[in-house]
Amino acid sequence: MTNAPRRRFAQMLMRHAAYVMPSGGLDWGSAMQNEMQAIEDDRTALRWAIGCVIAGYNERVNATLQTWYARWALACLIALLALREFFAPVLIFTYRMQYLGLAHFLGLRTAGDDYRRLIPVMDATPAWLPILWAAAGLMYLVALWRMLHRKDGSIGPFFLAFALDLAGAVTAKSIEISTGIVVTPNLLVRAAGEVLTLFAGFLLWRMTRKKTLAAS
Amino acid sequence: MGRRAIHSRQTDRLLEALLQDPLVWQHGYALMKQTGLQSGTLYPVLLRLCDQGLLEAEWRESDRPGKPPRHVYRLTSSGRAFARDQITPEHKEAGALLGAKA
Repeated sequence: MTNAPRRRFAQMLMRHAAYVMPSGGLDWGSAMQNEMQAIEDDRTALRWAIGCVIAGYNERVNATLQTWYARWALACLIALLALREFFAPVLIFTYRMQYLGLAHFLGLRTAGDDYRRLIPVMDATPAWLPILWAAAGLMYLVALWRMLHRKDGSIGPFFLAFALDLAGAVTAKSIEISTGIVVTPNLLVRAAGEVLTLFAGFLLWRMTRKKTLAAS
Repeated sequence: MGRRAIHSRQTDRLLEALLQDPLVWQHGYALMKQTGLQSGTLYPVLLRLCDQGLLEAEWRESDRPGKPPRHVYRLTSSGRAFARDQITPEHKEAGALLGAKA
């Protein structure tokens, strides 16, 4: 064991690994830290320390995801995704049923602030497409309900909803091309929606995946 | 309800290593050398096994003067039963098949 920069860097990483370990794992942080003292080779010690930092963050993320505030933040995010799926079907329904006051109110929440800009798109939308979006919204709600009740299998409905959403998006794109009207012109907003969905899916997977080795 | 085993090949390797000398306390670094697992994989698995009551851990004074105490590990009796259950020839074959496919 030397006092070489590599060893000092490894020691610094180990202190960080012990710091990021969740409070319940403080003992484990010290265990990892002390174990490195037994490693003579600096290169191996550095690899050990890097691994411990990864383990520390892994445990920290797992612990954070089990807190009530992380659970509720994710619940709000999934609820938002469900709302987004229901928005277009409701707007199309209100327009077609001539509930124009409500259509105007909803239109204020669209790009351009006016539902009338979207009339050619809504006219060209086949009847099954809003049903598909509504089904996606329903699947998000099923995933949300299962997650909040700590039931197994919330990830399946979530990604089914995402797949339905993507299928709907492909059809909607062809409608946009045929009518020449872009519903959401801001590419950043469109991309953010998909990124947010995938992020929520990742968090849901991390939160609900089995950490047990054996369950009776 | 029957026992559902949710485990990984890394867990199998660790269980196998711990089962070789089940009553002997082992250090984390020794387990890393024995299993070939990196510390970033090894410690989360050790932690889970401890949480499940399959592994016991305690502090031991280092045999070298001036060195801090070290954590040592060994399987509990339920851990030994679980490990024997997991490290059966069928499990090994399945693991080897998965490894070959990967």
